[in-house]
Amino acid sequence: MLPLRYSLGNLLVRRTRTALTVSVVALVVVATTLFGGLVSSLKRTFATSGNPRNLIVLRKGATNDGSSAVPLEAYQSLRFFEGVARDAQGQPLASAELVVQPFFHTPAGGRENVLVRGVEPVALAVHDEVKITEGRMFEPSSGEVILGRGVAGRYVGAALGSTLKFGHGTWKVVGIFDADRSSLESEVWADVRELANDAKRSVPYSGVRLRAAEGADLDALARRIGDDPRWALEASRETDYYAKQAESANVFYVIVFGLAALAGIGAAFGATNTLYAAVQSRRAEIGTLRALGFSRAAILISFLIESLAIALAGFAVGSAIAAGLARLLSWWLGGIAFGSQTFSTNVVQLRVGLGDLGFGLALALAIGLLGGLAPASRAARLRPVEALRKA
Amino acid sequence: MKFLPLIWRNLARNKLRTALTAGAIGLAVSLVCLLLTMPSGLDMLLNQVASNTRVVVHNEAGLVYPLPYSDLQKIRSLPGVVAAASWTWYGGVFEVEKGVTFPNFAVEPEPLGSVWADWKIDAKQLEDFRRYRDGAIVGRATLKRQGWKIGDLITLKGTLYPVDLSFRIVGEIPNERAPHFLFQREYLDQALKAAGRNLDTLGIVWVRVDDPARVAPLMAQIDQMFKNSEAETASETEKSYFASFFSMLSAFVTIILIVTGLVALCIVFIAANTASMSVRERLGEIAVLKALGFGRRLIFATLVAEAVILSGLGGAFGALASLGFTQLLHARASSWNSSLGPLGSFIVTETILVQGLFLALFVGMISGVVPAFGAARRSVAATLREVF
Repeated sequence: MLPLRYSLGNLLVRRTRTALTVSVVALVVVATTLFGGLVSSLKRTFATSGNPRNLIVLRKGATNDGSSAVPLEAYQSLRFFEGVARDAQGQPLASAELVVQPFFHTPAGGRENVLVRGVEPVALAVHDEVKITEGRMFEPSSGEVILGRGVAGRYVGAALGSTLKFGHGTWKVVGIFDADRSSLESEVWADVRELANDAKRSVPYSGVRLRAAEGADLDALARRIGDDPRWALEASRETDYYAKQAESANVFYVIVFGLAALAGIGAAFGATNTLYAAVQSRRAEIGTLRALGFSRAAILISFLIESLAIALAGFAVGSAIAAGLARLLSWWLGGIAFGSQTFSTNVVQLRVGLGDLGFGLALALAIGLLGGLAPASRAARLRPVEALRKA
Repeated sequence: MKFLPLIWRNLARNKLRTALTAGAIGLAVSLVCLLLTMPSGLDMLLNQVASNTRVVVHNEAGLVYPLPYSDLQKIRSLPGVVAAASWTWYGGVFEVEKGVTFPNFAVEPEPLGSVWADWKIDAKQLEDFRRYRDGAIVGRATLKRQGWKIGDLITLKGTLYPVDLSFRIVGEIPNERAPHFLFQREYLDQALKAAGRNLDTLGIVWVRVDDPARVAPLMAQIDQMFKNSEAETASETEKSYFASFFSMLSAFVTIILIVTGLVALCIVFIAANTASMSVRERLGEIAVLKALGFGRRLIFATLVAEAVILSGLGGAFGALASLGFTQLLHARASSWNSSLGPLGSFIVTETILVQGLFLALFVGMISGVVPAFGAARRSVAATLREVF
């Protein structure tokens, strides 16, 4: 085997050539991990939403709670269905919710549809991932709201203690909440009755969230709700509901993979060129090495190591740039807003995660292997006598 | 011009390297073209569908906040209004299990033809739409996706209203990108009455104005009319209305443009690498040419021309590849790109092709300049001594 120093040392001889090739790999890694990070950040906001013990009840056929209506009587009856959990006071853990999407105005003068969820205090027990980090929960019927972390600071008046205008009225912000980076963090919560009044809704609720009791069968409970002939309702697991929403992000992965494939092959071509040139200019050297008794495999491996080293250096530079750029963009754009299926805004914090970096690494290694294989095998096939004579 | 054969020979000398470089540049250019279709798809959609004499009036609080139905009559009575029609979102779902959705609205059939004269709906179909209470006019995008045709009977399940409605399709909106499903307001109204409910609100009002110059004053007049009422209105042009839908994608588009820039930079490095390698290998030759009396400028020009031709070839190949790829995609007409909205139009316009090609030529030039300049300036004696 040729020492590792031989391969790495060779890269330093033609510095410009090596630097240019490393840059190409790095740029491809930056482009793909940045875009991949965006998509996975979007997916994560949905994937972490929902509690496995919760059911979401909507009108049959409704794909989200923005396009569903559940009558008051249905809610009254659902609360007391067998299998619904109760709190310490014996109150059912059933949260009737109304979803509206009023305009919120950005300081720059734009407007976005923000999801405002009207809830009762029991909602905090049902959505137990929601934690109020600043201030307090709103008091019912007093014109108060609490803001998800993604909403706070993004809109005019969206700060603790300020007055927020949306719908027909003005609301006082009394709290900020976290929700495990889920899509709930892009929401505003208000008192359900006040919100229904403000939006002049005749049907008070969009949907109902139920917490299943310990040991209760969620699917049986869901079936009982769906089969109830009094209302055309449909219950599904909250996690399934959000998983379905997350599927809408999968479309973007097509772009990521397309980007990775096209740019990756292009970069591999570039690496191939560089290594062919290296093989060409080192013919005599390779001939000498073969004459000294180094095997073909040793030559092949030595060139492959060279190309993989270029790829790894490209990955190292690229991933560092991507992580920095993601932070910079997140700070500059203040979170990336996505229109979800409900047309409400989902604020996503762009983050390049470990999975994205892993993808970038795999891509870089693939570029290194693909780009190095042909030149390395040519080098290995060189016949020592000819290589030496020609030189 | 007489040096073209020399340039060509030089390119053909290392065919594999030329092919690989052109291929790499081509791939990157096609990627740039494909990425550029996303932001341009947005612009195109806005320019294509938006009429400059059509105004939309909605509740100032948000699009899901209704307006009183009486607003429509008040708006119609204003001078300058040619016709006005309201849309009320029904929220109907076609196949409940698959959750197939498309925007479906209740509308007044009479003004449809004049408010959307630019849609060029067939006169006979408009007539049928007026005649049949259960008639529906459907955008071609939805017709194609569902495999429906005129005359089909379909049932939508109401998710917002407690009524399911059955329709017969009587006409189409002849636009490949139109997803709308429009039906008579009267039909929804009667179904709701039978269920003990009243339809006394509307979603938004579309207004056709007689003169583009009159649009702005009329919008102000409408908003003034409903000022301090129960439901204040906000009027805007069709273009700004659609633009606001997609403004939340603006950050996403920024990232796409950044990624496009990175890929473009990639092309620079690939081309520069090749140019520097081939110049380096030919140093001796270049010195001989110079010793024979060929000027510096000529040598510089031929080397730069070589780089430009190489990336031009790659660019042309890439631009054509992106065109072919999108054609293939459209031929398949897969449903997945519909969920990307206007970002998923993937239409490579002539502008994008030209941009891609110019990017390649420009890149070729700057990548060739540095090594060519170095080679042209090198002293003959020093080079020859070094090489031989």
